[in-house]
Amino acid sequence: MNDGEIMIKGGTPVASMDEEMDSMDLNPHAQVCLQHLLRVWLGFERDLSTVPLLRRIDLGTYTVEDHLCLLRNLRQQVIEGSRWITRAASSFDRNHAEIRSTIISHAVDEHRDYELLELDYVASGGHIEDVQGMERNIGSEALHGYLMHRSSRPNPIDLLGAMWIIEGLGEKMARSWAERIQELTGLSEDSTRFMSYHGHNDSEHMLRFYEMLDEVCIDEAGVASIVKTAKVVARLYRLQLEEVQHGLK
Amino acid sequence: MSVYITSTGAFLPGPPIAIEEVEGVLGAVNGKPSSLRVQIQKANKIQTRHYAIDANQQTTHSNTEMAANAASQCLDRAFVAKENVGMLAVATTQGDLPAPGMASMVQAELGLAELEILTTHGICSSSMMALKAAWNSLRLDEHEAALVVSSELASRLLKKQRYEAATKSTFAEKRIDFNTEFLRWMLSDGAGALLLQNKPAPKGMSLRIDWMRGFSHAHAFPTCMSVGSAGRVEDARTWQDYDSYAEAEIDGALLLRQDVRLLDNILRMGVDGYLRLVQEGVSKPLDVDHFLCHYSSHHFRDKILDLLDAAGVGIPEERWWTNLYTRGNTGAASLFIMLDEFLRTDEIEVKEGEKILCFVPESGRFNTTYMQLTVVKG
Repeated sequence: MNDGEIMIKGGTPVASMDEEMDSMDLNPHAQVCLQHLLRVWLGFERDLSTVPLLRRIDLGTYTVEDHLCLLRNLRQQVIEGSRWITRAASSFDRNHAEIRSTIISHAVDEHRDYELLELDYVASGGHIEDVQGMERNIGSEALHGYLMHRSSRPNPIDLLGAMWIIEGLGEKMARSWAERIQELTGLSEDSTRFMSYHGHNDSEHMLRFYEMLDEVCIDEAGVASIVKTAKVVARLYRLQLEEVQHGLK
Repeated sequence: MSVYITSTGAFLPGPPIAIEEVEGVLGAVNGKPSSLRVQIQKANKIQTRHYAIDANQQTTHSNTEMAANAASQCLDRAFVAKENVGMLAVATTQGDLPAPGMASMVQAELGLAELEILTTHGICSSSMMALKAAWNSLRLDEHEAALVVSSELASRLLKKQRYEAATKSTFAEKRIDFNTEFLRWMLSDGAGALLLQNKPAPKGMSLRIDWMRGFSHAHAFPTCMSVGSAGRVEDARTWQDYDSYAEAEIDGALLLRQDVRLLDNILRMGVDGYLRLVQEGVSKPLDVDHFLCHYSSHHFRDKILDLLDAAGVGIPEERWWTNLYTRGNTGAASLFIMLDEFLRTDEIEVKEGEKILCFVPESGRFNTTYMQLTVVKG
């Protein structure tokens, strides 16, 4: 519950970001793209509620074992995430220097996030070798393969759709999962740092995303490719989460 | 065929009850004032509301009587004789009797002879279900007029005796008491009625129904607002599975619950449905002159609304209109009570040709319903 004033992590009131966002006028194609992306996100978020492991967060039956399982399965995605994003940066030519800079700085921020996740795993009572030795699950294989394929193409602006989904999920983990998981499992903050961390600077990320969208989404083809990639990534990400409890052997 | 809302009526029982008087009416559970009341009331910002129970928690008006009072006012204001009303559709969360349907009881109370009846069962969106069925009946040319009534008597579920009897409930154990108490300081009683006709009223304003749509997401989400289970994941029994109703009550299976944690999802699905209608070209944000929503705008102080603005489809706050703060949250009856006052208020000028977008979300298991009306003059 809150009394109408929403604070984001770090204590910055949303209102101060509102002003910056209000002055942000997206071009009409970027606006249409954002409408579609919002729906892809909302559908993705809703369908996550049907993933058995995540439904237990909703129902209040999520356990320490569930948390270890989730972290084990997320690690590969986090490691591969830094790879496709740097690949994408190198696929933009000099006419896309601005977006390339943004993506490179984003990759620098996050490319060692998996180390945080490993510490969470140990703090949750897991053995480091179990998380480090975990191979990609079936969904992670599909997601990683798709993202490496798309990011190897010239000027892959459609990957804004991928960032939209993956960043959105990071924000959701911080907003709705981290504290709830601590409450349900009795684990400490040390076990959910990877999740909480993604709530930091969320409004700043959003603003940067708008700027990129406004810059590169300038025709119908751009809208279509960004939205399609967002849809594929949403589906494959959910597949990855559905596959967490299936053994690979 | 076009169908018009040609008359409206509302009934709110008893005097307006101010924030600090609410616990005096519903009663302090086991004599102890609630520690959550102030916090929840501060969040919902409702200043006054009405109850069909008195300070001794005795019922002053039945749900059927409230529905009939709103319906009578609606018929008294209409330019059509009640004999011409061919259909009565009634919505409520909980009628006075579990069976038969509430429409039978309201029909009898109103003395409407030999007409088609419909009772819709649900929570807030049941009013939109009843309205849509009546609208469709007129569109099929089966009737020339239909009366749609929605009435709620939530206070009978919220009075102190309900909580005091639930001695083995999660509420009594303080396990998740926020969920069982949340709606206690939110919901109140009242009824609203709309008359539909196949032509506008000869005088004054009528509202043409342009379209109605609904999207339910029960397939994906757990139940969020309910009566009938004890609220324990491990216990699948519902109220009729207990050996006696008394046991069900002791166990808390008859308490009204809201899983507050899941509540965000109703706003998010509300936005999704709205965007869907925009994308399908059904709703045109620039054409919306007034936005009537069953929730108030401050509930939606969410980042997602900033996203709607950035995407160029936000509805500016000055177009939102509600009477929730003074009439209370009356569940399924809210929108009808809102429409009734909207057409009469001096706060804003309603002009011919203006479009009104109505939104009724139901958190029960995430149903979102939408309607667009156009102001027509006779």
